[in-house]
Amino acid sequence: MSTRLPEPAGRLIDRTRTVAFTFDGRSYEGFEGDTIASALYANGVRVLSRSFKYHRPRGVFTMAGRDANTLVQVGPEPSVLADRRPITSGLAVTAQNVFGRAERDFGAALDKLGRFMPAGFYYKAFFKPKGSWAYWERVLRRMAGLGTVDVHTPHGPFDKQYLFADVAVIGAGPAGIAAAVAAAKAGAEVLLIDENPYLGGALAWGREDPDGSRLRALEASVAAYPTLSVMTDTVCNGWFEDNWLALIRENRLSKLRARAVVMAAGCDGQPAVFRNNDLPGVMLGSAAQRLIRLYGVKPGSRAVIVTSGAEGYEVALDLRDAGVEIACLADLRQDPPAAPGDTHFPVIAGAAVRAAVPGRGGAGVGGAEVARLSADGRLGTSIDRFACDLIVTTVGHHPAAQLLCQTGARLRYDDDAQMFRVAGLPETVFAAGSVDGIFGLESTIADGTRAGSAAAAAIGLDAKSSERPQSAPAGEGAPWPIFPHAEGKDFIDFDEDLQVKDILSSYAEGYDGIELVKRFSTVGMGPSQGRHSALTAARILSRAAGTTVDGAGVTTVRPPVGPEKIGHLAGRAFQPVRLTAMHHRHVALAARMMPAGAWMRPAYYGTPGDRDAAIHAEVMAVRENVGLIDVSTLGGIDIRGPEAAEFMNRFYTFAYLKQPVGRARYVLATDIGGVIIDDGVACRFGDEHFYVTTTTSTSDSVYRQMLWYNAQWRLKVDIANVTAAYAAVNIAGPKSRDVLAAIAADVDLSADACPYMGVREGLVAGLPARLLRVGFVGELGYEIHVPASCGEALWDALMEAGAAHGIRPFGVEAQRLLRLEKGHIIIGQDTDGLTFPDEAGMGWAVSVKKPYFVGARSVAIQRARPPQRLLVGFEMAKDDPLPEECHLVVRDDTITGRVTSVALSPVLGKIVGLAYVAPDQAEEGTAISIKLTDGRLVTARVVKPPFYDPEGDRQAL
Amino acid sequence: MGVRRRQRPKRRANSASPISACCPRTGFKGWHALAWLREQGIAVPEANNRAGSLAGGGFAARLADTELLLTGSLDGAADTFDGLLAALGEAKPSGVYPVPRSDGSAWLTMTGRHAPSCMAKLCGVDLRSKKFPEGCVAQTSVARLNAVVVRADLGSVFALHLFFDSASAGYFWRCLVDAAAEYRGAPVGVLALRRLAAEVTPATGRTGDG
Amino acid sequence: MKMMTCPLNGPRNISEFAYGGEVIPEPASDTVDDAGWASFVFLSDNSAGVVREWWCHVPTSYWFIAERHRRSNEILRTYPASEVFGAGAQAKDQPA
Repeated sequence: MSTRLPEPAGRLIDRTRTVAFTFDGRSYEGFEGDTIASALYANGVRVLSRSFKYHRPRGVFTMAGRDANTLVQVGPEPSVLADRRPITSGLAVTAQNVFGRAERDFGAALDKLGRFMPAGFYYKAFFKPKGSWAYWERVLRRMAGLGTVDVHTPHGPFDKQYLFADVAVIGAGPAGIAAAVAAAKAGAEVLLIDENPYLGGALAWGREDPDGSRLRALEASVAAYPTLSVMTDTVCNGWFEDNWLALIRENRLSKLRARAVVMAAGCDGQPAVFRNNDLPGVMLGSAAQRLIRLYGVKPGSRAVIVTSGAEGYEVALDLRDAGVEIACLADLRQDPPAAPGDTHFPVIAGAAVRAAVPGRGGAGVGGAEVARLSADGRLGTSIDRFACDLIVTTVGHHPAAQLLCQTGARLRYDDDAQMFRVAGLPETVFAAGSVDGIFGLESTIADGTRAGSAAAAAIGLDAKSSERPQSAPAGEGAPWPIFPHAEGKDFIDFDEDLQVKDILSSYAEGYDGIELVKRFSTVGMGPSQGRHSALTAARILSRAAGTTVDGAGVTTVRPPVGPEKIGHLAGRAFQPVRLTAMHHRHVALAARMMPAGAWMRPAYYGTPGDRDAAIHAEVMAVRENVGLIDVSTLGGIDIRGPEAAEFMNRFYTFAYLKQPVGRARYVLATDIGGVIIDDGVACRFGDEHFYVTTTTSTSDSVYRQMLWYNAQWRLKVDIANVTAAYAAVNIAGPKSRDVLAAIAADVDLSADACPYMGVREGLVAGLPARLLRVGFVGELGYEIHVPASCGEALWDALMEAGAAHGIRPFGVEAQRLLRLEKGHIIIGQDTDGLTFPDEAGMGWAVSVKKPYFVGARSVAIQRARPPQRLLVGFEMAKDDPLPEECHLVVRDDTITGRVTSVALSPVLGKIVGLAYVAPDQAEEGTAISIKLTDGRLVTARVVKPPFYDPEGDRQAL
Repeated sequence: MGVRRRQRPKRRANSASPISACCPRTGFKGWHALAWLREQGIAVPEANNRAGSLAGGGFAARLADTELLLTGSLDGAADTFDGLLAALGEAKPSGVYPVPRSDGSAWLTMTGRHAPSCMAKLCGVDLRSKKFPEGCVAQTSVARLNAVVVRADLGSVFALHLFFDSASAGYFWRCLVDAAAEYRGAPVGVLALRRLAAEVTPATGRTGDG
Repeated sequence: MKMMTCPLNGPRNISEFAYGGEVIPEPASDTVDDAGWASFVFLSDNSAGVVREWWCHVPTSYWFIAERHRRSNEILRTYPASEVFGAGAQAKDQPA
């Protein structure tokens, strides 16, 4: 049964192409260009959903995607606006929030229980019997919510893009188009944005442009400027500081930076409040006009119209032209001016719709009760009843000003226009058209031109300024289109199923401000976000509280304006990954790669199945033969200049002024509070040249911190972060010297020429290298830094030369174990955000002689007090249960510390670790108690590290 | 419908190419660096974040009062700057220090009319041709990496040169190829770029809109 | 998203910058008393007026100073650190 109108109605549909789809399992057909809602409407399906709380049938109200009655589930996608989503072949649409189908929802029984579920009922119910909330919460959760999330939904390709424009215009109705053209004419680069697939806004479906010529002229004016770009099907979801706009179109989030913005987003028609005003068949006048002009669908066969101005008569003319019989036109005005033209509508002046009467089946309008109003606007007792299947309301507007309010502007109530208006916009934001209370085609075009020119002028272009046009006609809003009924069901918020009494009862409970009323009653918190409820709620509150409507006000508006998907916000999820120059070698050697910050490093070489065996073998290789590890990720910073040593002396805790050229020295950095932030090694390659290594994760932050300090100290020093420019390896083990000697023929590696903590520059395997002899893992070893482009060559040369000695690559896991055996601390693991040098046994690295270093005063203050904890080494038998990092050290009922590092050492045949303990537990030999995850206590013995080679002989070979 | 007049599918596709391996680049920084380079005959740009062409091909990008990034021409030998570095090693002037750009920085070049739109998926700076003319330099974040962007066209073709942390080259390459797919962009080799660079154009014949 | 004008790079999205705390001259650490030093390390002024702050342009690691009004969040001025700390001289209160 089709209710299609002949052409020219239906400007968006292509009648030559039919499209088949299903709704709640039943098949329907529409035309290409139809939305789900328009196609269903054309097929006589009016119930699209069930309301949130009472499961009342709901249908088209705005026909513009501005209400939540039309939210449906499309395949795996929940909460799709049926009056915006076009139908496509095979589309499978289902209703949300139903037990059964939209047409026959078993949840409708809840409507009968409505009086037990007023606003905020869940704050007062389910306390007794004890435990009942646990049960009812589950029930309510199952019943609440719209749509179903399919956790197996395939990932979609979302991305983001930056856009730039001189002037952005939101809304491509007559005002927006005029603004865009005026700005473009003044020389601005303009981006015109509209959420619909067509331009023209109200002109495309309203009565003001019967042959479409005005719309065509506006479209032509847009096309005339090459600097004017258009984005349709695009929602502007938020305004952020400095005119940053979030635009969403399909799967892309565009981040637009505009120098000036014109908002011409129009306004939302408002509902009249009467009993059963939520039935399918009750809709805005603009909705009926959209059905007719955009989709060629006849909205009904017999209509009752309630209006407060000329708009209702315009809609009546459109309905009549579409073959709809006008049963009654109730004009809220006691003394309306003469209707335009000779229209012969059955007008009742000074009357309003008192109730909608459900039709057969209860799921749509069957009739309307129209009552005369008394002089003070109340419903009288004189009632007429009309049979109808359509009730149309045109009783006022509320500006679609969400974006404008996000800029910090306020909504003030205009008593003349009987609607809220925007006030207090920032300098580069302008409002035009009906969003600013200007109605009528000529006036909105003039206003748009004014705003566009003003926007161009605001950014320094040459543009004519003009005055705001007088609105003609005004919005003609009704001051009080609210008619509560003794039997209720007079809805003021469709999304939340709130009636007039719910606002009154919130106020009676003591929630006497609009923000409190919102949160208690939930008015305006649904998907419509107050578009059709904010004005009514303000009016009701104003009367209850005895204030003006302006005094009652509206709630704070925040982004987003409409829904946005997590995918939009995530976009491409850029996650930088850094690879060392030897990465491919590790992969070829079956390394198990692990992230270390943004870097990838080998954890160990082998398959996950033999992780422990692999690490064990790597550790033994280093202790007995020779091992090779890629340490390129450790930061490298070049400090160069006449005051390089002075800079080092101030930045780090140790002493560097007299560090000899050719020697390396430990560095420890504290922050201004005296807390350890980094350690490393400083190599002095010249009087004016230090090369400092940092921990992997701190190279960028330490570099930045150095620059920050020198911005204040202004020393003659250059600081360069060269981490990625050098590849580095550490070759360690008793045979390391032999291996290195094989490829560094011209470097004297003897213990005298290259002592422990010595640094040299020279050629290794023909490659220019910085050579350091450092402890690292407690064996004889060398750290070799070469330009990154030489990294693979160095690795290959060492592996080849080391093959005869059983060289083995080792990874981070083995390195950690080897260093723990020597008691080396890891900054950030064995130290935390409060660790002072003395607590971690690093007091030796703090110079007491030099006058200043960063944090010196704080360290001195801490030193003057007894320590509160100390980091000690501990050991346990190898068969004891292995504690984990962060297990607590407990004594009786108190926590005295925690484990920071722990591992089973194959070389030592016991468990070793580091832990914070109370100072009186730090004596060697003390037994400490560690609490495991399952609550068991195990005993460990305090030992002074290093656990392995305490004399340090092996690394000094 | 949709985005109009910002892009249409064009025949001439986008391109990106890694030319780190063969194309010479170096840098100098320090409080005396720019003065010393001028003494060596290098044309140092007059303002920060500007680039100018060098006599031997390639360009000099002035990143700060104290830093210059230099590139050789696309078919330049790797030892293009050896003479300059040797002179530095000899004289050792205070306040002039070399920056290891050939190891520390990777160099990618993106060419073509859609390059600005492609970059707009990765970078928040307006790189459209009219807003980012020849010789402009932007030091900014691209795909979450710190990068230097230099506009230096190849012949008549719009070209952006990107310098960034060499350890992130693989990641960055993947980001660029992914972003270019929408514009039917594709990787090209150095030879193609050399051919473009060799097309000499009269002063007014530069590329059209980005 | 707010814009900040970097003295070196011009106007950029604030996501390119990192905040570095208030510009507070470090007291002479050898003469100030413990309370004064602790106040410098841990406390900051929280007045509802203009504050002088350190900001870093992350891609260039360039530190500079911004004057911002705490109430309106308006950035009034940005300038190089040398304006406060001198071109080449040592910062005051620091030992030689």
